[in-house]
Amino acid sequence: MAAMNDASAPVLTARGVRLGFADDVVLDDIDLEVAPREFVAMVGASGVGKSTLLRAFAGLLAPLRGDVHLSTAEASASRAWSMVFQAPRLFPWRRVRANVELGLEGLGLSRDERRARAMESLSLVGLEELAERWPRTLSGGQQQRVGIARALAVRPRVLFMDEPFSALDALTRQRLQSELTELRQRSDAAIVFVTHDIEEAVLLADRVVVLAKPDKAAPATVREIVTIDLPLARRREQSGFREHMQRLEQHIGVAATPEETMS
Amino acid sequence: MTRPARHRRTLISAVSLAALVALWETALRVGWLPSNLVPLPSQIPGVLWAEVLDGIWLDVVLSSLSHYSIGLVIGSVLGIAVGMAAALLPRFDAAHSWLARLLRPIPPLAWIPFAIIWFGVTETAAAFIISIGVFWINYFTSYSAVRAIDDGYYEVARAFGQGGFSARLAKISLPAAAPGILGGLRAGLGQGWMTVVAAELFGIPGIGQRMMEASGLLATDVVVVYMLTIAALYALFDFLFMRIQRRVLRWQQ
Repeated sequence: MAAMNDASAPVLTARGVRLGFADDVVLDDIDLEVAPREFVAMVGASGVGKSTLLRAFAGLLAPLRGDVHLSTAEASASRAWSMVFQAPRLFPWRRVRANVELGLEGLGLSRDERRARAMESLSLVGLEELAERWPRTLSGGQQQRVGIARALAVRPRVLFMDEPFSALDALTRQRLQSELTELRQRSDAAIVFVTHDIEEAVLLADRVVVLAKPDKAAPATVREIVTIDLPLARRREQSGFREHMQRLEQHIGVAATPEETMS
Repeated sequence: MTRPARHRRTLISAVSLAALVALWETALRVGWLPSNLVPLPSQIPGVLWAEVLDGIWLDVVLSSLSHYSIGLVIGSVLGIAVGMAAALLPRFDAAHSWLARLLRPIPPLAWIPFAIIWFGVTETAAAFIISIGVFWINYFTSYSAVRAIDDGYYEVARAFGQGGFSARLAKISLPAAAPGILGGLRAGLGQGWMTVVAAELFGIPGIGQRMMEASGLLATDVVVVYMLTIAALYALFDFLFMRIQRRVLRWQQ
């Protein structure tokens, strides 16, 4: 059985994390706590190490120093965490439903239970009708929705999302952003979301972690954590939105060159 | 290609083949070609029928098919297994890569002396020779197919609790490399069949041996019957294999 988790205890705790190689430290002194069901976005110039940090949080990379603690899976037949990647990375040799079932394999579920969980997850992203299709027949946006369904199917405590919408066209991106805000309310997962898009961070997150280098030669660290205290289902034109964006831009901009900041 | 264009192509192919056979027949009948060197095409169906009635045709075909299938299965299974292992296990790759480089350029027929010393003039010797050529084709195609797999898939597997060796093998390496592996199997199917006849020319019973017997008696019509048999059987295997391949790889089309 999974260890008991205090309902309010952080689901992710990072203390003094250093990442990179012994002679080339990319990130240093990273401290972060993520509360249950919280949505934390991580922004920063390209190359600052956002995706690397996300992988270290997930345990896919070992830190050089410091430690990362992820709370264990709570519900039965679930996983502590799962991930949505920048490219959907569906397995082309599996039908949509079988792709969503991937993380459920080895959790002690029967075939019918796996199937039911996958269909439930697909209906969350509105794709249950495409369950028996091959991935190549889906649009980019649909494929990324399947990637999200695959990650939600394992009922993770933490959902890591690595620039999940950056490869999509603007219209699809906006649609998926608002869908994600709705999904949040139906899922118990905390979300750690990497993006280079400040607007996206303000639109979606409860808190935005700004990663930046104190100076050109130094490794990046957490420069600022900005709380976005706007009610959910946010709109770009609502009051306070611009102010949050400007504040984040200032924090990112200090050490980065202009073309790195704007992307 | 559009449908009418495909039909036209088929028609042109059929007409030119028929024209060639007609020219061959005419050349022999009017004496442009010596009849002791090549048989009359019109004799071939009759000779085939005689071979079938005697039971010789079925005998030699079955015995060739038996060496062929044993050699094909052993060569393919070992080739795929060793090729995949080399691609997945860096230590194993390092341990055997010089040996592989040394043995690979040796053609299967160069193993005939050893095959006969080790196994005698037996079916086992023929199967052994066939398996060698099939092994190398499958070894190299499986190796490159597995090496070409996008690392991103393995990261997905780790992210979804499928990071163990056997899970990765069954859920990623095998299906992702399947197009390459099946391509190698198909090439091996052809290569093995070509080796069958060569291996049997040394007296191991089968199509090759029957052809050698016939040529000793200048029975060129019998030789041609078995040449056509080889071509027809290969076309049949290749056709059947392609149907299986298309079914297995239907996610690609």
